Amino acid sequence: MLIKLTGGTVYDPASGIDGQVKTLFVLDGKFINQPPAEMPIDKEYDLKGKVVMAGAIDMHTHIGGGKGNIARMLIPEDHRKDPVYRSDITRSGCGHAMPSSFTAGYRYAEMGYTAGFEPAILPVNARQAHMEMADIPILDKGGYVMLGSDDYLLRMLTAKKDQKAINDYVAWTMNAAKAIGVKVVNPGGINAFKFNQRQLDLDEKNAHYNVTPREILQVLATAVKEIGVKHPLHVHGCNLGVPGNVETTIDTMQGIGGLPMHLTHIQFHSYGTEGDFKFSSGGAAIAEAINKNKNITADVGQILFGQTITASGDNMRQHANHGFANPNKWVCMDIECDAGCGVVPFKYRDQNFVNALQWAIGLEIFLLVDDPWCVFLTTDHPNGAPFTTYPHLIRLLMDKSFRNDMLATIHPEAQKMTTLASIDREYSLQEIAILTRAGAAKLIGLDDRGSLGEGAWADITVYTENTDREKMFEKPDYVFKDGELVVVDGKVVHTTWGTTHIVTPEWDNSVEKSLEKYFDRFMTMKLGNFKMSNDEITEDGRGSLTAHSLNSIS
Amino acid sequence: MSALTFTAIKTTEQRVDMSPLVCHLLKDLSVAEIAAIELQNGKRKIRVDELFEISGDDAQNILIKNSYAKLDFIAKELHDGVMTVEGEIGAYFGMSMKSGELTAKGNVGLYAACEMKNGLLTINGNAGDFLGAALPGNKQGMKGGTILVKGNVGQRSGDHMRRGNILIEGNAGDYCGSRMIAGTIAVMGTTGRFLGYAMQRGTLLLWKKPTLSAAFNDCGSHTLAFLPILFKSFKKLDSKFAEESAAFNRVQRYGGDMAEKGRAEVLVKL
Repeated sequence: MLIKLTGGTVYDPASGIDGQVKTLFVLDGKFINQPPAEMPIDKEYDLKGKVVMAGAIDMHTHIGGGKGNIARMLIPEDHRKDPVYRSDITRSGCGHAMPSSFTAGYRYAEMGYTAGFEPAILPVNARQAHMEMADIPILDKGGYVMLGSDDYLLRMLTAKKDQKAINDYVAWTMNAAKAIGVKVVNPGGINAFKFNQRQLDLDEKNAHYNVTPREILQVLATAVKEIGVKHPLHVHGCNLGVPGNVETTIDTMQGIGGLPMHLTHIQFHSYGTEGDFKFSSGGAAIAEAINKNKNITADVGQILFGQTITASGDNMRQHANHGFANPNKWVCMDIECDAGCGVVPFKYRDQNFVNALQWAIGLEIFLLVDDPWCVFLTTDHPNGAPFTTYPHLIRLLMDKSFRNDMLATIHPEAQKMTTLASIDREYSLQEIAILTRAGAAKLIGLDDRGSLGEGAWADITVYTENTDREKMFEKPDYVFKDGELVVVDGKVVHTTWGTTHIVTPEWDNSVEKSLEKYFDRFMTMKLGNFKMSNDEITEDGRGSLTAHSLNSIS
Repeated sequence: MSALTFTAIKTTEQRVDMSPLVCHLLKDLSVAEIAAIELQNGKRKIRVDELFEISGDDAQNILIKNSYAKLDFIAKELHDGVMTVEGEIGAYFGMSMKSGELTAKGNVGLYAACEMKNGLLTINGNAGDFLGAALPGNKQGMKGGTILVKGNVGQRSGDHMRRGNILIEGNAGDYCGSRMIAGTIAVMGTTGRFLGYAMQRGTLLLWKKPTLSAAFNDCGSHTLAFLPILFKSFKKLDSKFAEESAAFNRVQRYGGDMAEKGRAEVLVKL
């Protein structure tokens, strides 16, 4: 099947193409530069005057795993307001804050997204997370496995095991859980919560294991680097949401000693303690630190106003915030001694000082980080806002007058506490393409996605230029997934099944000896059942696995 | 002007979402426009005139004839106006009703009057489970108004109820008044097991002696001055509750549920 996409204005930062008119060819799902001579073109799309980008990639979105189902159960009233009826090609479900898996796939695709990565796969729940993501149509999936509060790792640290042993354990776990990265959530804090600690600073010791978050970050970041995984350690830091946590966050960046590290939903970690309300913006300081430390990347976790639900592995911070639950119901739980989970519904309000300032802090970070390859567009779906708000967020970034109009409507005290009005920067289309496509693919370590260059898979989004960027980005003219047309005029016309992206670092199999003993003694399942096999993802005939390259290990 | 009348001309295998056919939504529509409305019917849609013969023109006074037990969400969020239904009725009858008068001539299904806000809802037949309750997962059920049932009701009537009156001339099933936050349920007939289970506040007014759990304490017999006032407020209803002989002021009082807040009361006629 040879497809010709004629005359579109192409934004492809991965190939260094910035708004040039270019004709693209897709042969059997992948881009080629020139079709073989005399090969007939099966289908031609006239894209003159249209904007062409790669399919967007959401590098941090909670779309799979147990907490999603808890969130769904917790807010039936939200689902009732947004029922999704079946059509001849799409399944029924429900939408808004925590949509059903099928609806998530359709709505992502209808916005031009072709991949989403679940950032918190608990190893013990990996099977469920992959099963759930297997029910997300069209999108490519993948996930980061959550380590750092599991007893096995903490025992290793207490016992002063060498880095090699930890590397083996990390690589083994990534393979067992079919992950493409490693995430750490409130390093050691989820575990400390079980020993009755209600906060844990970067250098505070876990009461039972005598291990500090700093040590955990250090060994995990080292492990990720040494086993060659391209996605840097994905860090949800200490003290999420605590006023004054900007110090902790900067300390975390500097303390990692130059190792690659990705700080996620950094907006929630950028708060100062100045002003009458003892809550102020640390956006500028964080942006400066990201600009200075080249080993650091961050996604923002922008909040947008309205009802949503926060779902996080960080039960320590979720427990601390449960008083803000709106509607007033929440869940915090331990998950098989491996990690935790906290789900708290939230309603962010523009007339609430704290919420309004959180909104401004997120935008400050977006606009003050110089290098668009170091910052990523997320709302930490659904924690800051549902992913369906992305077009609105893009307009806030690309349109200064719109941004300032919105700024004028928020809590007046919050307006005084932010420098947002004085920031003139407007993102260009090319920069948006970096944030949501090329940069994300590079960060995750995807070899052949997020690009329109030769050899890459043909995930394509086609937009009609519109000065109202929200309208432009919420309704693409065409979306192609692996060269198949899936969306026309913002509506799904065909459903496909994406692949699951993984990496397969190597480990020394002797790691299983002590793990087996540990599993037999403490865990609810046997080691053999804990490990996922490839067949579990592929045997239904619609799932597949794509292993990506690793950095060469020196 | 005569009542806008929908007479069912056939029954469907699958359930029908009747929520578009309610006074405030039909107010400014012509009969032709109403006929063209599409109702969700299982996984398909069905036009109103495929299912009903339409006559009359007063959208503030709607009559549904030949109703059958698969018509759900009748009078959902009714806001002013009068609606009357003849025949069997499906689930969610009068859900979230805000004001006005709603009458069922026959039996109604599950979740009738759930999360009702205000108004008067009369059921001449029996009602199913979860009368005046909260929808699953929601925290507050009926928040105001009056429900009058002339027949019997199923289980969990008034589950999570917050305010208002439920008057039952017949018998109530198990878990009557379960998880009630506040409000009044009066039952002339018998009540089932687990009466007032996890009830926080509110009043259950009973004519027949119930089987109470150990979490309700006997607080002795009382003559309560508010009861005649309460009965007087029922006078305008077309009901046994309005009859002179129904009123009393002498009751045995039980307090509970001690496994919850324990500030609810069960008053039994002496």
